[in-house]
Amino acid sequence: MSRGATVLPAALVAVAVGAVLGAAVVEVGRVEVALAGRRRATVDALHAVDGCVAETLAAVTPAWDLSALLVGPDGVVGTPDDGQIALPAGCTGRAGPPPGAAGPPRALVTVEARTRRARRSVDALVGLAVAPGVPALLWLTGSTASETIAGTMSLDGADAGAPPSHWAALAAPDEPETLDAWLALESGHVTVAANTVPPLVAAPPPLAVLAARVRAASPAGPEVLVPSAPAVALAYVAGDLTIVDRRQGAGLLFVDGALDIHAPFDFTGLVVASRGIRIASGASCTVSGALWVGVPTPFAPSLLVDGGLALRRDPTALGVADGLAPLPRRAVLLGIRDLG
Amino acid sequence: MRRQRTRGTGLVDLLVGTALALAVLSVLTAAVGTGARVLVAGGARGEAEDTAQLAVEAFTFDARRAGWDPRAVGIAPLVEATPSRVTFTADLDANGAVDASSEEKTAHVCTGVGRLSRIIGRQSLPLADGLSRCAFRYLDATGTAIAVPAAGLSPTALAGVRAVALDLTLLPSGLRGRADRTVLVALRRAS
Repeated sequence: MSRGATVLPAALVAVAVGAVLGAAVVEVGRVEVALAGRRRATVDALHAVDGCVAETLAAVTPAWDLSALLVGPDGVVGTPDDGQIALPAGCTGRAGPPPGAAGPPRALVTVEARTRRARRSVDALVGLAVAPGVPALLWLTGSTASETIAGTMSLDGADAGAPPSHWAALAAPDEPETLDAWLALESGHVTVAANTVPPLVAAPPPLAVLAARVRAASPAGPEVLVPSAPAVALAYVAGDLTIVDRRQGAGLLFVDGALDIHAPFDFTGLVVASRGIRIASGASCTVSGALWVGVPTPFAPSLLVDGGLALRRDPTALGVADGLAPLPRRAVLLGIRDLG
Repeated sequence: MRRQRTRGTGLVDLLVGTALALAVLSVLTAAVGTGARVLVAGGARGEAEDTAQLAVEAFTFDARRAGWDPRAVGIAPLVEATPSRVTFTADLDANGAVDASSEEKTAHVCTGVGRLSRIIGRQSLPLADGLSRCAFRYLDATGTAIAVPAAGLSPTALAGVRAVALDLTLLPSGLRGRADRTVLVALRRAS
C-alpha cells in the first residue's frame, strides 16, 4: 500500500471529525444564544411588571386610605367590581385587602405583565407613605401647559439633611418630559435652587376631600393672618381671599377659592388655594413649606404670577400642618414578591 | 521504429504527492484541534455565564421579597449583614411570623473556597463555585456604601440599609475572559 493511500483516508477522517466538531461548536453557540435570549426576555418582563406596579401606584390619588384601589371603579365597597384597578397597557391585575388587621391601610395588588416573549407576575403590597402630601414644593391639580409665569418664581427644595430629604420643585399630573419642558420654557422667570429634585409626576391633590376635613376640624378664619409673629393655626377661608397688606401666617391655610395677593405675604406651613393663586405685580408670596393649587372654575391658569413667588423646603412645616388636619398620603410600595 | 514512452508514477511524483497530503492533513489536524478548543471554551463560557446569571437571579429573588409583611407586624427585611453573608426574612405565608426553618429566612453566603451558597434552615444549596470574587455591599438611603465591621452590621445599622448589592466574579479554568456580575436590589420599607 502506498503512502498516498494511507494519507487519503486519514484526511477524510480528519475532515469528518472537523465537521462534527464544527457542528458541535455551532450547536453550543446556538443553545447559548437561545438561553441568553430567554434570560433577556424574562428580565424584560420583570422590568415591565415593575413598571406596571410603579405606574399604577403613581396614578393613585393621595388619600387617607387605599379605598381607591380596593373598591373598584364604582367607588362602592361590596360590589362585583371591587378590586378592579386601572393598569397600564400590557398589564393585568387585581387588588384586594391583605390578611390581618385593617390598619394600617394596605392593599395587596397582583399584577401580571406580558411582553412579546415572556410574562412575569408579582404580588405588590401597597401602603400609605409615612410623610404627608408629596415631596414637592408646588403641587398642581392641572397640567402645567396652561401656566405662565410673568413675574418670578423661586423654588428651593434643598434640605440641610441628606439627599432623600430634598424636595422636588413641583408635582403635577403630567408626563415627566412635559414637566421638565415647562421648567425649561419658564427658565427666564423660574429659578430652581441646587439640590432641588426634578419635577414629580403625581395625581392631583384631593382638595375637595381635604376641604371637608379642614371644615370639620373647627378651623379659624383669615384673622390668623397677621402683620407679624403669627401663631400656628388651622385656617379655612370659604371663597376667595385677597391679601391687600402685609400678612404672615403659619400652620395650614385652606383657601376654598382663589388666593389673590397684592402685598407681601409670608407663610410657614401648607397653603392650599383650591381655585388658583394670583400674585399681582409688586406683591410677593413666600411659603416655607408647600403650596397646593387647584384649577379655577371656569378654567383658567391656576398660577398667575406677575409678582414674586418663593417656595422653599421646610422639613417640619408639612408635619405641623398634618398635625392640625391630617393630610393625604401617597400610595407607596411596601413590599413585592415575584410569583413567576 | 518509434519507442513508446511508458507513463507512470515516479519518485518525484510520490514525494510531491505525499508532501501535499501531509500538508493538508496538518491543516486539517490543526483545524480539528482548534475546533475542539473552541468547543470546550464555548461550553465553559456558557456554563460560567449561566452559573453567574442563575446565582444573581436567586439572590435578586430573595432580596426583592425581603421584608414581605402583609400583616404589617414589623418584619425586618435584613437580620444579618456582613461582607460575606446576608440573611433576608419575609412573612411569605402571611401568618405574622418568620419560620426560620423555611424559605422565610434565607441566607446567601460567600464562603472562603470561592462558593456562593443559598442557605435555608439546615439546607445549603450551592449557587456558584469557582468564584474569584464574591461579596455583599450595603447602601443607605443616600446611596452611600455602609462600612461593615467584620462582625456585621448592628441592628440600628441594619435598619438603615436601603439596598443590598452582590458582586460576583467567576473565572473558569482555561478561559481568559471572566464572568462578572453586580446586582443592586432595593429593600422595601414602610417609609
